[in-house]
Amino acid sequence: MEHDYPEQPGWVRLPGYEEDPRYPRGADHSRDYRRGAGARVSGVRRVRQASNWTAALLIAGVAAATGYFAHHAPPAPPATGAVNSVPGGTAAGVHKPSLSAPVATSSGSGVTVGTGPGGSRIVTYRDN
Amino acid sequence: MAAMGPERACDWSPVNVGATAVGVAERDALGTTARVVVWPPNRTGRVLAAVDAELALLDEQASRFRHDSEISRLHGALGRTPPRASRIVSEGLAEAIAVALAAAEWTGGLVDPTVGGAVCGLGYDRDFAALPQVTDEATRPEQGCVPGWQSVRLGGRRLRLAAGVRLDLGATAKGLGSDRAAAAAAACVPSGGVLVSLGGDIAVAGEAPLGGWPVLVSDEPGQRGPEPGTRSAGQMCPPQEPLGQVVRLPAGALATSSVRCRQWRRGGRTMHHIVDPRTGLPAAGPWRTASVAAANCAEANAAATAAIVAGEQAACWLAAQGLPARLVAHDGSVHLLGGRPAADGGLVEVPATARMPAAPSGRAEGSGLPPDGLSRPARPHRVP
Repeated sequence: MEHDYPEQPGWVRLPGYEEDPRYPRGADHSRDYRRGAGARVSGVRRVRQASNWTAALLIAGVAAATGYFAHHAPPAPPATGAVNSVPGGTAAGVHKPSLSAPVATSSGSGVTVGTGPGGSRIVTYRDN
Repeated sequence: MAAMGPERACDWSPVNVGATAVGVAERDALGTTARVVVWPPNRTGRVLAAVDAELALLDEQASRFRHDSEISRLHGALGRTPPRASRIVSEGLAEAIAVALAAAEWTGGLVDPTVGGAVCGLGYDRDFAALPQVTDEATRPEQGCVPGWQSVRLGGRRLRLAAGVRLDLGATAKGLGSDRAAAAAAACVPSGGVLVSLGGDIAVAGEAPLGGWPVLVSDEPGQRGPEPGTRSAGQMCPPQEPLGQVVRLPAGALATSSVRCRQWRRGGRTMHHIVDPRTGLPAAGPWRTASVAAANCAEANAAATAAIVAGEQAACWLAAQGLPARLVAHDGSVHLLGGRPAADGGLVEVPATARMPAAPSGRAEGSGLPPDGLSRPARPHRVP
């Protein structure tokens, strides 16, 4: 990311080390200049590394939070009509129902049990 | 009951079981009642369509009460051809016959698909609803000959029957139908579950509700159904106390065979539809009802019928097979076997793997009921 752009009209050059009062003209400041340039480069590198680490930590944090909430999300409200559903958990997020009354009858073919008005049990004998 | 969805089949009737988290529907099928239970309920329409297709297919293939079914046409065609002629049958009928032969081998011939002629001779020669409604005391029952399942040869889809053999797949076909229908229905419910019952032979697939599917196992203890000759389809009885035991089915299947239904009278005797292949007459053992849980419904169906026929040996054989069972004697006493819960609402320990071989392994004696004296003693506990 270090580019030297050609100077454009209207640009004002920032004072260089030649204008810096700490470095009087005529003296040999090349050593100080190299030291300064090296410090600048290493500073830029340090900032860039810190930036990369920050980005990596952010990405890892977001991923971890996503995973956590995917597995620990509170149960979704039951679907319409599924009044006796309780959280059971399936892959698709549909919750297993909890059934209290028998839903079918195993008998010699011909007997079925249903629920009549008021929850009464109705036994139906069917031979066909 | 929740809405069934846009693809609801037209001849199913919704059933109120007191829960809205499941869709429940029922219709007449295969000479009995089919019931389907689905969760989530918004998939019910799609599931019913899938079940319809399977039931229609099985009816076309294996119903002996339909003159245009494949098995009826097969009987007719083989009656006109030289003895031991072979025919190519459909894949579905081949599977149904293969399952029946596997059940015959597994039960040592106590469940035998060649009882068809004997059953007809006893008077059960049409759909039960079409049998005479008055008792037929004048006509003596004909003791039929049972040629034996070894007389049936099935290689792939090629079927060879001895002359005069009539197949009755009743001991396994309903169970197979439940298995097929449940599998097809489960494909419509990627995250949910289904229960399919054909006349009380129940198969479940997909995910069970919490704690399993609650199922009432019924034998009407202390209550008699309509007497033969006075029965009528769909007769309603007043609300009663629990007729049996509620169990929870987590997977697999549960089937019941009983001599207390599909009864008729002929020649002064009460007939029922479970024929002992050894005598050609209705089974006369100590059990009036047998309910068995197994990995699949065809196996449960065969085991329940075999238990009725086996009589005293049934408990030993079921225990040796590791199949949870509930046997009800003619005096009403209930005997529980294997992983069958004693308490109401208990979970049935259904075996994870099938006990019945996939296909007959040969013509030798199979892994049938052990003879007396060699069987492992297994004393069922008696429920007061």
